[in-house]
Amino acid sequence: MTSSRARAQLTFGARAPWTAFGVGLCLLFSSARADEAFIPNQGGGDLAIVDLAAMTTAARLPLGGKPAGVAVAPDGARVYVTSPEGGFISVIDAKARRLEKRIEMPGLPFGVAVSPDGRKIYVADMNGRDLTEIDPQSGARRKAEVGAVPSGVAVTPDGAWILVSARDDDALVLLDAAGLTKRATIAVGRHPFGLAIDAAGQRAYCANVESDDLSVVDLKAQKLVANVKVGKRPYGVALASGRVFVANQYDETVSVFEASSLTPLAVIKVGEYPESVAASRDGTRIYVTNWFSNELWAIDAKSLEILGKTETGEGPRAFGAFVRATD
Amino acid sequence: MLSGFAAVLAFGAAATLALAPSVAAAHGATPQKVVETIEIGAPPEKVWAVVGDFADVSWRPEIEGVEAQGGNVPETAIRRLYYKRGGSLDERLVQYDGAAMSLRYIIERADINVLPVGNLSATLTVRPLADGASRVEWKSRFYRAFPGGNPPEQFTDEVAVDAVTRIFKAGLASLKAKLERP
Repeated sequence: MTSSRARAQLTFGARAPWTAFGVGLCLLFSSARADEAFIPNQGGGDLAIVDLAAMTTAARLPLGGKPAGVAVAPDGARVYVTSPEGGFISVIDAKARRLEKRIEMPGLPFGVAVSPDGRKIYVADMNGRDLTEIDPQSGARRKAEVGAVPSGVAVTPDGAWILVSARDDDALVLLDAAGLTKRATIAVGRHPFGLAIDAAGQRAYCANVESDDLSVVDLKAQKLVANVKVGKRPYGVALASGRVFVANQYDETVSVFEASSLTPLAVIKVGEYPESVAASRDGTRIYVTNWFSNELWAIDAKSLEILGKTETGEGPRAFGAFVRATD
Repeated sequence: MLSGFAAVLAFGAAATLALAPSVAAAHGATPQKVVETIEIGAPPEKVWAVVGDFADVSWRPEIEGVEAQGGNVPETAIRRLYYKRGGSLDERLVQYDGAAMSLRYIIERADINVLPVGNLSATLTVRPLADGASRVEWKSRFYRAFPGGNPPEQFTDEVAVDAVTRIFKAGLASLKAKLERP
């Protein structure tokens, strides 16, 4: 995250004697140009690939099966999209912007995450109680029992731990990735859904749909640190610029907190029925999908200004890490 | 009709309503959207006087009786709707903005034999038109009644969308007729 920003600075610094304003402007555009959003439109059955610098749809791939969950591989080469109603995962060649293949998975595959080395994907089955680990190359798979209605999935930056929200157990479940073994069940708010883990792998955050709060979990201690009140019907959560962003579906807002102190900083009005939030790879921006109004909004993570909006397609869910760096 | 009214009377005690359990079906299915609008030849204030009263469902033709409490206070206001075809649902007011003439409610106690949906929320908004008339928008997000994959034919997405669409269309037409009556 910091490295891509430093690289951009070097490139522009070396090229020409920009004015301070010019450099700032170029940095803004250069960092943004490096990102794309992969937005599954569940109602429309397709995947919109959005150029985040221009805030326009660059491509649209028909996937079928009511696509909902998404995860971009850390190296950006592939993007995985779950189609719960089709019972499959689409493997997207991100650079070529084409469907590479489908991986069948019975049940309702929903939340998905990729291991840091890109060799494994972890998929939650909302119709069952399991998390499935799949090697997307060989198709080899393992399963672990998680709990009631597994929904969101996240992996620690070192790849050692997998975190799953067991929605109807009101708990987060921590599994060690090596053995795919359940190591801890941490009680949180009611119906945890969207998840985020910080860059240090120390804290996890989950949005609790029914109790209208955000739970903060210490991953080392495997303990709940705090429950913080947010807006009505929180769905997605993301971290950027030392802040926590939570999308509140009924309030049609994004709640912003300081990550370290959990001090509330702002509540931003967004589009209709916001669902998923993701940060730009350099952490300067936040993107929000608005399911009812079919939009993606860009928000400055520091100033909290609305930077732009674009139409996505019918019913954008984009549940997961939907932003890809192209550089 | 008689048995329906008897049910309304028997319902009575407010405590029963307050204790109604919160039901949320397990789902990984696809949320559905319905948006219906109608133009009404009456000023927005007059339209909102009806629509903005959470206890007043006299304009909804499918409803035979209602038991409501909590006025228009979000989270507090709740109503039990008795359907003419039988059965009842409980709905809770979750947002209310009188200045913007908009409210949002959820079905808190569903019955898929009354309405084949899960996790329904809906918004009613009255907007002014240039000629002093009004536009009412009624929109909703919900799931089909069957939460898993491959739903039985009576609980598909299409059945759910059709049921909600019919209620919204009939309700708005009836509201228009009621308010435009001289």
